[in-house]
Amino acid sequence: MEILEYARPRNMDEAFRLIRERRGTAIGGAAWLRTNTKIMTLGVDLAGLGLEYIREAGGCIEIGAMTTYRELETSPLLKSRFGSLFDATVSHVVGIQLRNIITVGGTVAGRYGFSDLNTTLCALGAKVVFYPGQTLALADFIEKGAGGPFLLEKILLPASMKAAYQQMRISENDFPIINTTSAWTGSGWRIAVGSRPAATRLCRRAMAFLGDEPRPSDEKIASASQIAADELQFGSDIRASAEYRREILPALVRRALVEVRG
Amino acid sequence: MTIRLNVNGKQNTIDCQAGEMLTEVLRRAGYLEVKKGCDTGNCGACTVLVDGKPVLSCSYLAARAEGREITTIQGLAEEARAFARFLTAEGADQCGFCAPGFALTVLSMKKELHNPDEAEIRHYLAGNLCRCSGYEGQIRAIKKYLEAEHA
Amino acid sequence: MRNYHSPTPPTADAPLEATEKFKVVAHDVSKVDGEGLVLGRPAYTDDLAPENALYVKLVRSPHAFARILSIDPSAALALPGVACVLTWKDCPRVPITRAGQGNPEPSPHDRFILDEYVRYVGDEVAVVAAESEAIAEKAASLVKVDYEVLNPVLDFEEALDNPVVIHPEPGIHEMFPIGFEPKRNIAAAYHMEIGDVEQELAASPVRVETTVHTQAQQHVALEAHAAFSYIDLQGRLVIVTSTQNPWHTRRLLGLAFQMPLRKIRVVKPRIGGGFGGKQHIHVEPYVAMVTMRTGKPARLALTRREVFEATFTRHEMRVKVRLGANPDGMLRAIDMQVLSNTGAYGEHALTTFMVAGSKTLPLYNKAVAVRFGGHVVYTNKVSAGAYRGYGAIQGLTGLEAAMDELAHKLAMDPVELRRKNMLHEGETSEVFRIMGEGTEGVAMNIESCKLEECIARGKELIRWDPDHLVREVAPGILRAKGMAIAMQGSGIPLIDMGSARIEFQDGGFFKLHVGATDLGTGSDTILAQIAAEELGVDMDDIVVHSSDTDHTPFDVGAYASSTTYVSGSAVLKAARSLKAKLIEAVAEKLGVAPEDIVYKGKIFMTTDGTKELSLDDFSYDTLYHDGEKMKTIEATESFTGDKSPPPYLAAFVEIELDTETGKVDVIDYVVVADVGTPINPKLAKIQIEGGVLQGIGMALYEDVRYSDAGHMLSHTMMTYPIPSREDVGRITVEIVDSYEPSGPFGAKSAGEIGIDTPPPAIANAIRNAVGIRLTEYPFTPERVLMALKAAKAK
Repeated sequence: MEILEYARPRNMDEAFRLIRERRGTAIGGAAWLRTNTKIMTLGVDLAGLGLEYIREAGGCIEIGAMTTYRELETSPLLKSRFGSLFDATVSHVVGIQLRNIITVGGTVAGRYGFSDLNTTLCALGAKVVFYPGQTLALADFIEKGAGGPFLLEKILLPASMKAAYQQMRISENDFPIINTTSAWTGSGWRIAVGSRPAATRLCRRAMAFLGDEPRPSDEKIASASQIAADELQFGSDIRASAEYRREILPALVRRALVEVRG
Repeated sequence: MTIRLNVNGKQNTIDCQAGEMLTEVLRRAGYLEVKKGCDTGNCGACTVLVDGKPVLSCSYLAARAEGREITTIQGLAEEARAFARFLTAEGADQCGFCAPGFALTVLSMKKELHNPDEAEIRHYLAGNLCRCSGYEGQIRAIKKYLEAEHA
Repeated sequence: MRNYHSPTPPTADAPLEATEKFKVVAHDVSKVDGEGLVLGRPAYTDDLAPENALYVKLVRSPHAFARILSIDPSAALALPGVACVLTWKDCPRVPITRAGQGNPEPSPHDRFILDEYVRYVGDEVAVVAAESEAIAEKAASLVKVDYEVLNPVLDFEEALDNPVVIHPEPGIHEMFPIGFEPKRNIAAAYHMEIGDVEQELAASPVRVETTVHTQAQQHVALEAHAAFSYIDLQGRLVIVTSTQNPWHTRRLLGLAFQMPLRKIRVVKPRIGGGFGGKQHIHVEPYVAMVTMRTGKPARLALTRREVFEATFTRHEMRVKVRLGANPDGMLRAIDMQVLSNTGAYGEHALTTFMVAGSKTLPLYNKAVAVRFGGHVVYTNKVSAGAYRGYGAIQGLTGLEAAMDELAHKLAMDPVELRRKNMLHEGETSEVFRIMGEGTEGVAMNIESCKLEECIARGKELIRWDPDHLVREVAPGILRAKGMAIAMQGSGIPLIDMGSARIEFQDGGFFKLHVGATDLGTGSDTILAQIAAEELGVDMDDIVVHSSDTDHTPFDVGAYASSTTYVSGSAVLKAARSLKAKLIEAVAEKLGVAPEDIVYKGKIFMTTDGTKELSLDDFSYDTLYHDGEKMKTIEATESFTGDKSPPPYLAAFVEIELDTETGKVDVIDYVVVADVGTPINPKLAKIQIEGGVLQGIGMALYEDVRYSDAGHMLSHTMMTYPIPSREDVGRITVEIVDSYEPSGPFGAKSAGEIGIDTPPPAIANAIRNAVGIRLTEYPFTPERVLMALKAAKAK
C-alpha cells in the first residue's frame, strides 16, 4: 500500500482528530498493508499510545486495541479466566512472528470474514469501546459497522466465562474454512460462527433453543448444532463450498458445546 | 521520508516511503541476511527481532520501527553459529534460504520457552516454512541444540 | 497445537555396511557453507546483484489468450529513470523452449522470448527497465497494451481437437518426432505395447480399472527465480542466475538471441531450492535483453505472485490403469493411458508423460502384456514443466491405486500382492529398453534392488497387520494404514553427461571443479566426498568450485536424479585418473616404476619401503622445485551412464480420518529406501524426508486453482499453503544396505524418489479406512466428506 502521509500522534485526542477531521486511517498491526493495493492519504499509527494491555477493571477484562495476538495467547490473566480458549483461537494464525504484529483492534476494526478471534470475541459477548467513549456490542459492530470514522480503543470482556473454540482448516497454517465458539454465560448459551466465509454471526435461534439449561442433553446439543447450521448463510470460496461449510458446522458446534458442558 | 533505524546496535539513516515494510528497507541498507520469501507474511524467511520479539519484517511497517531495536541474525552471530553447528550436523541446512529467519526464531524460542517438548517446538516455529527438509532434520537439530545448551 | 503425537519415536539409524567400508563416503559429512548460510551471508543471486544494475519488471498478460494489437510505451518511457521498454518486436523471431534439457530438446520449440500472442494469464508482454524498483514497477503499469481477447481452452479434457487452436503460429516445431500436432492442441504423444494387452486382459480372471486425476502443483522454492546480467571487460554477456542447468541456459539464450555461445557466460551462485522449478529459463532472457540493449547491468527477482502465475507447475494428469491378474494375484496385463496437461507451452511435455510409464511400469515386471500411451495437450494455463517426481509420481499414483484395488478384489494383503509381482535383483523389464526420455530406452539388468528388505523393515516400523488396517480411536475418528512402493532413475542414460576436473595444488590440496549444480541438496559436499575417498585425503583437502560455464567443466545440470550418479561418477573417474598421474609423476621423480609406488593417502612410498614422499612435499616439488619436470597435475573426466539404475523405496502411512468433517491427517509416514550407497547418509535422508512432505502436500493440501476466465486464484502462499511443521505427525526415513555396481562407490540417487508415494499411499489408507477410492487430488476435507456422503447415499 502506498501511504502518502504518515502520522504518529502523541495521544488519543490527536489520533482522534486526525481520523475525524483529516479522514486519517488508523494503522493497527499493519500486517495487511503489504497486500493492499489502495492508496492511504493519511496513515495514523496507533503504536505508542498505550493501547497494549490486558487488565481487569470494573468487573471486566479490558484488552487494548494494540494488544497483539501473541499477548493474547500468552496472557496469564486470560488463561486464568478463559482456560486455553484464546490460545486455541489464535494459535493457528500463521506463526508467532505474525502474531507478534497483528492486533486485536486491527482484527475487530477490519471485521474480517476469515477471523478466528472475532468469532471467539462475539461468543464471549465482547463490547467494543470507541474513543472518546461510545460502546457497542461487538456482534452488532461486526454486522453493521460503526457508521463513520472511529478510533477503536479497547475491547471489554466479561471477567470470566467457560467457552470452547472449534475450527476446520485444510492445512494448519491456512485460513479457516469455518470456525465456531460456544460459551456458557452463567445464564445462557452463546454460539458464534465465523469464516462462513463472511464475517462472524451469532446463532440466535440455536442459542434460544438451548435456553438457560447449563447441562443440555446430547440430543438437545445435536439439535441446537443443526439449528445453527440451518439459520446461517454460507458462501463458497477457494477453500470450500457453502455446502461443505453447512455440512460440517453441526459437528463443530456440537464438539464446542460438549466441551463447555463437560 | 527519512527514518533512523537501530539495527544490531548501529544507527542507520535511511530513506523510505511511508508505506514501505521493513524487509525492503533493511535489504536496501545492506542487511542482506533478511530474506524475501513469500511477500505475504506466510513463510518466515524475513524474520527479524524488534525489541527482542520475532516479527515478520515483510509485514512490519518500517516507519514504526524507528526508535526500536532491530536485530537480524548477524546481530546474534555468536549464538547463531552455535545453532548452525547443530543444523549442519543434521544436514538440515539444505538450501539455506530460510535459515537466517528460522535460526532467529529458534534463538527466541530458547529464550522464551523453558525445555519445550517436540509439540511446543513445532508450534513455536510453525511460522518458519521450509520446502527442502520436511522439518524432521530441523527438529532433530533443535532438540540436540537445546539439550547441549541446557547441559 | 496438534492434539496428537505420533506413536513412533524417532528411530536410531542402524550403521550401514558402507560406513564400515569407506573412510569419507557413506559418512555424515557436514556442508562447509552451512554456517555462512545460517548467518545470512550474501550468497544468493539477488544478494549479489551490482548496485548500479537496472531493475527489470515484466508487463504480463491479464488475459488467458489474446493477440497483442499494439503496445504503447510512451507514458512509461516518459517517466524519469526509465531506461527502456522492450516488446516482441525487439526479439529475434526464433522459436525456442524454456526447458533445460539435452540437445536436441525433446520439448517442442513452440515459444518466443516475447510473442505477439499471449497464452495464459501472466504470459510476458513487455520488459521494462529503470533505475529503481519502484520506478520500474510504476513504468510497467504505464505500458498501454491493446489486446484482441481470444477464447481460451482451460479444461484439459476438452483441449484435444478443440476448434480453438492455441498454437496457430507458423515456424514452431519439434526437434525430433515427439507426436507434436499443434493444430490439434497436441504438444506430444506416444504409444507402446508389449504383447497383446487387450487379449491378455480379456483372458485374465480378475480385472480392475482405476482412473486418478492428479493436479498441478507448485514448487514453492523459498528463493524466487532471480538473475542479473552485465557485460564483462571482454564484451561478453555474463548472467548470474538461480538455475539448475547453466549450460542449457547458455545454449538456449544463444539460440534465442542468435548469439555465438562463446559470447555468453552463465554462473550459478547458491540457490534457494529448485525441485525442477529452476530447470527452465524464466528470467535470464529478460535481464539479458536489457543489458544488451542498454549496455548496463540489469537485475530481476520475480515476486512470489509471478513465481506462482508465470513459472511452471507440475503437469496435471489423468491416469487410467487397467490390470489383469490370475486369482493367485499374478499380474498378466498392465495398461496405462495418460492425458497430460502441458498448459500454454510444451516444456517437458513428452518426457514427463513418458516417465509416468517408464519409471513405474518396470516395478511389476511379471506382467506379460504392458501398454502405455496417450496425449499431452495444450491449454491456456501456465505451462507445466519439470518438477521432482517428473511424471513418475503421477503414473505411480494410478498404478499403486490399481494395485490396491486388485488386492481388495483378491482379498489379499496389498504388501503380498506387490511382493509377488515386483522386480527383484538380477531381473529386468522390457520397458527399460523400449521407453526412454523422449526416445528409445536402454536395456538394463537390475544389479541392485532391495525392495524386499525395504518392505520388511517398513512393515516392522509401521506395525503392519493386514487384518487390522483400520481402527476407531474415538467416535467417528479412524486411524488407518496404507502403503505403496516406488522406483525412480539415476540420470538419463546416454544423454546426461557430467564432467569433473581435479587439480593438484601447492600445499597438497585439490581443487575440484564440477559443472554440477548444487540446489541446496549438498551435492558440492557429496562430490567432494567422492574425490576425497578416492584420493585418500580429508574433506578439508578438497576445495569445490561449481556451476560456472567459464570456469568449470561441462555438466547438463541438476535434474533427473542425476548429480550423485552421473556427476559423481565423473568425479570418481577424475580422481582415479589423477591418482594414476600423481603416482606416475612420483615414480619418475623417485626413479622407480609406477607399480612400485604405493599411495597411502597423503604419502607415497616405494614398495620396498626405502623411499617415501609426502603429498605436501611433492606438491611444492612439482610446481616449484623440479626444474624442467615441473608441471600442473590435473585430470578431467566425463561420465554418461549406459544405464539408469533405479532407487527403490517402500512407504507406509498411518492416517487419521475424521468421518464427520472429512479431515485427513498424516500421523506417521515411514519410508525405507534403497538408494545404493548413500554417499552422505544424513543428506540422503533429508532429501527423502523433504520429498515425502512435498508429496504429502500434493496428496492433501496443494492445488493450483483458476477462475473461469483463467486467472490463477492460488497465486500467493496465503492461497497456496505449503505444509508447515505442524501438519504431519512424523516422517521416518531409513536407508537399507545396498550397492549399485555401476554407481560411484555403489551410489544411485535420492533426490526425487521420496516425493512419489504419498499420493497413492494416502489414497490407499483412506480406502482401507472407509472403503472409498478417492481419485481426485488433493484430498481436501471437502472432497473426502463429499465422497463419504455420496457413498452413504448409495
